[in-house]
Amino acid sequence: MNKLLLGRYVNGDSLVHRMDARSKLVLSFYFVAIIFLCNNWQTYLLLTAFVLMCVKFSDLGIGFFIKGVKPLLGLIVFTVLLQVFFTRGGHVYWSFGPLSLTHFGIVNGFYVFCRFVLIIFMSTLLTLTTAPLEISDAIESLLKPLKAIKVPVYEISLMLSIALRFVPTLMDETEKIMNAQRSRGVNFSEGTLMQRIKAVIPLLIPLFVSSFNRAEELATAMEARGYRGGEGRTKYRVQVWTKIDTIAVILFAIVTILLFILRKF
Amino acid sequence: MPIRVEKLSYSYQAGTPMEHKALEDVSLEITDGSYTAVIGHTGSGKSTLMQHLNGLLKPTEGFLEINGRQITPETQNKELGDLRKEVGFVFQFPEAQLFEETVKKDIAFAPKNFGKSDEEAEAIAVRMAKMVDLPDEVLDKSPFELSGGQMRRVAIAGILAMEPKILVLDEPTAGLDPMGRLEMMRLFSRLHKNGMTIILVTHQMNDVADYADHALVLEHGRLIADTTPKALFSKPEWLREHHLDLPQTTKFAEKLMASGMKFDSLPLTKKELAQILADRIKGGSADE
Repeated sequence: MNKLLLGRYVNGDSLVHRMDARSKLVLSFYFVAIIFLCNNWQTYLLLTAFVLMCVKFSDLGIGFFIKGVKPLLGLIVFTVLLQVFFTRGGHVYWSFGPLSLTHFGIVNGFYVFCRFVLIIFMSTLLTLTTAPLEISDAIESLLKPLKAIKVPVYEISLMLSIALRFVPTLMDETEKIMNAQRSRGVNFSEGTLMQRIKAVIPLLIPLFVSSFNRAEELATAMEARGYRGGEGRTKYRVQVWTKIDTIAVILFAIVTILLFILRKF
Repeated sequence: MPIRVEKLSYSYQAGTPMEHKALEDVSLEITDGSYTAVIGHTGSGKSTLMQHLNGLLKPTEGFLEINGRQITPETQNKELGDLRKEVGFVFQFPEAQLFEETVKKDIAFAPKNFGKSDEEAEAIAVRMAKMVDLPDEVLDKSPFELSGGQMRRVAIAGILAMEPKILVLDEPTAGLDPMGRLEMMRLFSRLHKNGMTIILVTHQMNDVADYADHALVLEHGRLIADTTPKALFSKPEWLREHHLDLPQTTKFAEKLMASGMKFDSLPLTKKELAQILADRIKGGSADE
């Protein structure tokens, strides 16, 4: 479970680390959009080079990013196979019933693979260089305009921060209760499907009970320290737009223009 | 069924950059029917060592032998099921493990898992509830309606219901009031007299002095003392060096010594101290 990428923030002081969380968040989404501009190998090559450059700027080993791809490998392989066997056109190498292996299929499969890996690298870059709380602050700041239509932006971001904060706590708790129930003879990893589902009950009920207790304690602790909601509340972490962010935006703009030129080839 | 630990080492997240050695080259023996106290600061490796005893963790290096059953780094998880029945493990704040609708069902949970029929398991549950002094009327209540102290008792009864030969207790009295604490320690003492091997992880030096007959001290994952409480507490300087406390009685005797009183050996329990003092007073009055 500790392979989960959420909250796998690695502390550092690289250029990417120093960027404003808001620009990182927006640019990550923007990247997902521009990757659909790619339609030939030149464009994919350009974006791959661009992503590798971003990785370089983060001062983090490429190993961190490859680890980020691993949990999604099953999904990637499945999608790529679908593309490879169900795309028609070009030279046919092999065919069996509805399945066929064509030139277009192979090329498309390769593109889909690249698209997945590049998107995962980019989002891993975001989560590795941005602390979860920074992300939730960024979301709050970006959603602010929605306050005009009565969206409880502050509350949403508080919920998000609390949820993120308690992920490791809950994982520890789960581990503890699993150990306690294992000691009482529960086997979580063996048995028929029915037995395994039943084995989860002694884990879930104590987890719910302790989560509710924890929520209540947290609420009391917050109120005891004078918490009154978001109105007029100042921030400890201030978000500042710096030169690095401007440069990053310009870089993304250049890449976009290049993509438009290269896709004509 | 004795426990033998040979050159055991354990690393968390072995083989990653985050590798952290929690136990290093620990060798020890625990005899049948003994009452062993395990002492050490937070992070010294006590809990890690205890989790080896019922197969929740497997050694990274070395091995341990419990009742002739060897656990090595290669042991398969499947083989550990029986071990868990023989070694009962009461975790810190064990009330977190309660989940059933009624107290009786919760206590009967473990025996049912280990193959007892519903009737047998419930009979055991009733017996165990009595053993931990739970009143009869709580048996059909939800465990979540009980007080903290009673919940703790239910949880402990749930472990005793496996009828283990070895009982591992990880700070079982944490968070209890003084009365609840005393009753709990008396219960373990009773179990010990009935022949159960008790292993108690604790920060309470008074409990070590009052109940244990064997003491293990861990520091930074290494075993730094394997001795009797008597021998352990007769070296106050060594204990201070390792930032460990003395039992109240021994502290008191030390103060008496500083003001000129002589002891052949430092007393451990209140009874011993009272006996020595009573003898002195009698002896003194005979002289006058």
